[in-house]
Amino acid sequence: MDAAINRFIFLLKQRGARISPAESLDAMQALARVALHERETARTVLRCTLIKDLRDLSMFEELFEQFFSLPKRAETAAPGDEPSPAAPDTTIQTPDAAAPATVGGQPDGDNAHEDALDIREYFDESQMVTHFNSHQDPHDFSLAEFGQNLVLSRRRELLDHAMQNALQVLKARRLKNASRAGELNFDEAIAALDADLIADAVTELLDELSDAEIDEGLLQKLSARLKGGIAQLPELLKRYLERELALRQQEAGRAARPARPRPDYRFTEQERREMTEIVQRLCRRMRGARSYRRRIGPQGRISVPLTLRRNMKYEGIPFQPVLTRHYDEKPRLVAICDVSLSVRNTARFMLHLVYNLQTLFEQVRSFAFVSDLVEISPYFDQLGIDDAIAAVFDGDLLDTEVDSNYGRALERFHNRHLAAVTAQTTVIILGDGRGNRNPPQVWALEAIRRRAKQLLWLSPESRGSWRMGSCDMPLYEPVCHHTEVVRNLRQLGEVTENLLRRSAIRP
Amino acid sequence: MFESIEHTIARLREQQYICDRKLATVAFLALQMQKPILIEGPAGVGKTELAKVVSAALGRSLIRLQCYGGLDEAHALYEWEYGKQLLYTQILRDKIGGLFEGIDGLREAVARLDLHEDVFFSERFLVRRPILQAIDSPDPVVLLIDELDRAEEQFEAFLLEVLSDFQVTVPEIGTVKAKTIPYVIITSNNTRDLSDALKRRCLHLFIDYPDEGRELEIVRLKVPALRELLAAQVVAVIRRLRALDLRKAPSISETLDWARALVLLDADALTPELLDETLHLLVKYERDTQRVNEQLAWIAEPIQAQPQSMSSEAALTPPQRPAEPDTNFLEQRRQEHAARYFTNYRGRTDGRTGGA
Repeated sequence: MDAAINRFIFLLKQRGARISPAESLDAMQALARVALHERETARTVLRCTLIKDLRDLSMFEELFEQFFSLPKRAETAAPGDEPSPAAPDTTIQTPDAAAPATVGGQPDGDNAHEDALDIREYFDESQMVTHFNSHQDPHDFSLAEFGQNLVLSRRRELLDHAMQNALQVLKARRLKNASRAGELNFDEAIAALDADLIADAVTELLDELSDAEIDEGLLQKLSARLKGGIAQLPELLKRYLERELALRQQEAGRAARPARPRPDYRFTEQERREMTEIVQRLCRRMRGARSYRRRIGPQGRISVPLTLRRNMKYEGIPFQPVLTRHYDEKPRLVAICDVSLSVRNTARFMLHLVYNLQTLFEQVRSFAFVSDLVEISPYFDQLGIDDAIAAVFDGDLLDTEVDSNYGRALERFHNRHLAAVTAQTTVIILGDGRGNRNPPQVWALEAIRRRAKQLLWLSPESRGSWRMGSCDMPLYEPVCHHTEVVRNLRQLGEVTENLLRRSAIRP
Repeated sequence: MFESIEHTIARLREQQYICDRKLATVAFLALQMQKPILIEGPAGVGKTELAKVVSAALGRSLIRLQCYGGLDEAHALYEWEYGKQLLYTQILRDKIGGLFEGIDGLREAVARLDLHEDVFFSERFLVRRPILQAIDSPDPVVLLIDELDRAEEQFEAFLLEVLSDFQVTVPEIGTVKAKTIPYVIITSNNTRDLSDALKRRCLHLFIDYPDEGRELEIVRLKVPALRELLAAQVVAVIRRLRALDLRKAPSISETLDWARALVLLDADALTPELLDETLHLLVKYERDTQRVNEQLAWIAEPIQAQPQSMSSEAALTPPQRPAEPDTNFLEQRRQEHAARYFTNYRGRTDGRTGGA
C-alpha cells in the first residue's frame, strides 16, 4: 500500500507537482481513515491531500485514471457485463494480497508477518468476506481493482524483474530478426508480451513464493484462492505490465522533450528555479525592508517621545498613547529593454524578471525596442511568460531585424509614454548603448531622469569596451543614477536586490 | 462528530447544505485528522456557508476572522492593551512606591522591580483576537479565516504556527497551546496564489459551480416557495449565463436571490420579459449586461422549450457573435498614440532637434 502510494506520488512529482514528504504522510494517514471500498473516495482523499494547486488537477486526474486502473480487456472483463468474468478477477486479489506480503518478508524473514498484517489491516476480514462472496456488486469490483493495484505495486521489484526478463527475451528475438534491427519499439513489445513469457514470470513469482517462509494458515488460504486465480494471473500480470510500460514510455517521452527545435526562448528548469529564488529574495526584501519614516496611526507600537509630548498636559500621565508604524513603500517600475540580437540573452532574463516582478510592484510597465518602441505589458498580462517573450523576439510586435537605434527609441518613449514615469517610478533601461551612429538623443534620457525617482542602466557589455566603436554609453552614463554590468541571472539578481534595498531605505 | 462520510453528508443536509461526496470526504477527514481545510473557488459557491453549517452541525461556536489588506497579527492573534497597562501603572503608583521602601541602591531597586515585571505582561493585559480566542477556548470551536487571499503574504506566515501546531507564541508570556483543537476552515477567492508552506499544512478543496441537478436541488431546498417548473427554468437560464464569457458569472447565492425575487414577484413561469426585467439581479457589470443582451434570445431558449429537453448535458456554447474586424490591441493603441502625437505636437521653435 505505502509503496503503491509512494510510486504514485513519485509519478506525480515527475509530472511537476510539488509534493512534500509531509503531504505524502498526510495522504497515507488520510487513506487509513477512510474505508477503501470506493475508488472515488480514494481519489478525493489523494486529491485533497496531495494536490494544492489547481493547475495540477487535470494532471492528477489523468494519472489517477492511468495508475489505479488496469487496462480493461474489452471482451471479458467489462464489470457490468455479467458477474462471472468479474468474479475470477476479484478472486485473484487474495493470492496477490497474500503473495507479495509474504514474499516481501523474504529478505529478512521476521518482517513476513508484519507485512502480512499490514496488508490485512487495509483489507480487514469483514471486507474480504464481502468481497469474495458478493462478486456481483460492482462496487466490490472497483475495490478489488484498487486493491489489486496497491498490491501489485507493492512488489514492484519482483514485477520489474519479471518484466525485464520478458523484455530481454524480446530483445533477443528482435536481434534474430535482422530486417527490423534498431531500437526496441515499446508498442511492439507490448504486442509481443506473449502468454508464455508471462507464464515464465508467473512461475518465477510462484517459485519465490514457495521459497519464502510462509505462515501455514496463510499458505492454506492462499492455495485455496490460487486454484481459482492462477488461470487469471497471467492476464492480470500482463495488464499490469502493459500499464507500467505505458507509464514508462511517457516518462521517457517527457525526458526527451526539452531538446525541442526552439530552445532559445524557453527557460530551463534551472533558470526558472534561480529566477524564483531571486524573486522570492526580492520579495522578502520588499516586504521586509521598510522606509524609516513612521506614520502615526491607530495601529503599531507606542512611540515614547510622541506619547510623552502629547501627554505633557496630563502631567506626563500617558492617557493618550501615540502609536506609529512603518509603512511599506511599493515602488513602480518601468523597464525599457533593447531586444536586438546583441543583447538578446540578457534581455530574455530581464523580461522574465520583469514578468515575475509584476506582483511585487505597485505597477510594472515594460517596453521593448530595437528601433521602434512598443509597450509589451499587455502581452505579459495575457500570455504565459514563454509565449510573451517569444512574441517579443519573433518580431510579431516590432521589427527585430533592423539595427538598434537608441536615440529614436528614447525619443519615442519621451514623447509617448513619459506619463508612465512618476516620482515613485524606477526606470530600468537594458541595452548596450550601441546606437549604430544614430543621434543618441541624450536630452530624452535627461527628461526621463528628471521625472523618475531612479534611473538605472544595465549593460551586458563590460565597462572597458564602452569607449570602443560606436557605443554611446559614455554619453548616457553620466545621466543615469547608476549603471551596472549585467551578464547573467545572478548578476541581475544582485543588481535588482541592491536597487530595492536603496529604494526601500531612501524614502 | 462526523462518524463517516455518509453521516457527514446527512448532518450537513440537516443544516440545509447540500454537498457532494467530495466535499463531505474532505470535511470528514479534516475533523478526523485535525487538519485545516483550504477552500478555493469562485465567489458565492458556499465556501463561507460551509463553515457556518459545519459549526451548526457539530454544535460548536463559530469564530470568524475576515481578512483584508493590511491585516496584521495585532488584529488576528493578540495585542497588548497599552492603555490599560498605562492606566494601571498610574493608579498603582502608590503601591509601586511602597515596593521600594527600605531600598537605597538603584541596582537593588531595579532588581526588585524585575521581580514584578511579569505582572504587566500577563494574560490580564492581553487582548484576544480571533485566532487566540479559537485556540484558547475551553470548548472546541470552528475557526473561519475568510478570504485569506486578501491579506498580505506575510500574514500567512503568522498562520503557519497556528495551523500546524495549534499554538501561538507570545514573546512576553511564552507559548499558548491549544486547549482544544479548533476545526479550521480557510477560504480563498484565488485572486493570488497562497504560499506553498500554507497549502502544505491544509487539506485542499476546490468548490466550483454545482452541476444542474445539484443546483436545482439547492434551489428547491432553499426556496421551497418557488414552483417546480420555474425552478427548473431558473437553473437552466443560470447555466446558460455561466456559459457566456462574463466578467462575473452568477453564483449560487445570486441564483437563490433571483429565485426569491421571482417568488416575491409571484411569477408563474419565466418569460423573456420577466428575465429582462430581473436581469440586474444576476449581472453586475455594464459590459456583462451588454453581452447578455446580445445573447438574450439564446439564453431565453430553455424558457420556451419544454422542461424535459433541458436534460441534455451537451456542452453549452453560445452562438458566435458576428465576426468583428480583427484588430490587434497594441496596433490600435499605437495608431491612437500616433494620432495624438501628431495633432498635439506643436513643433520646436528654438531650432534644435529633439524635445525639451
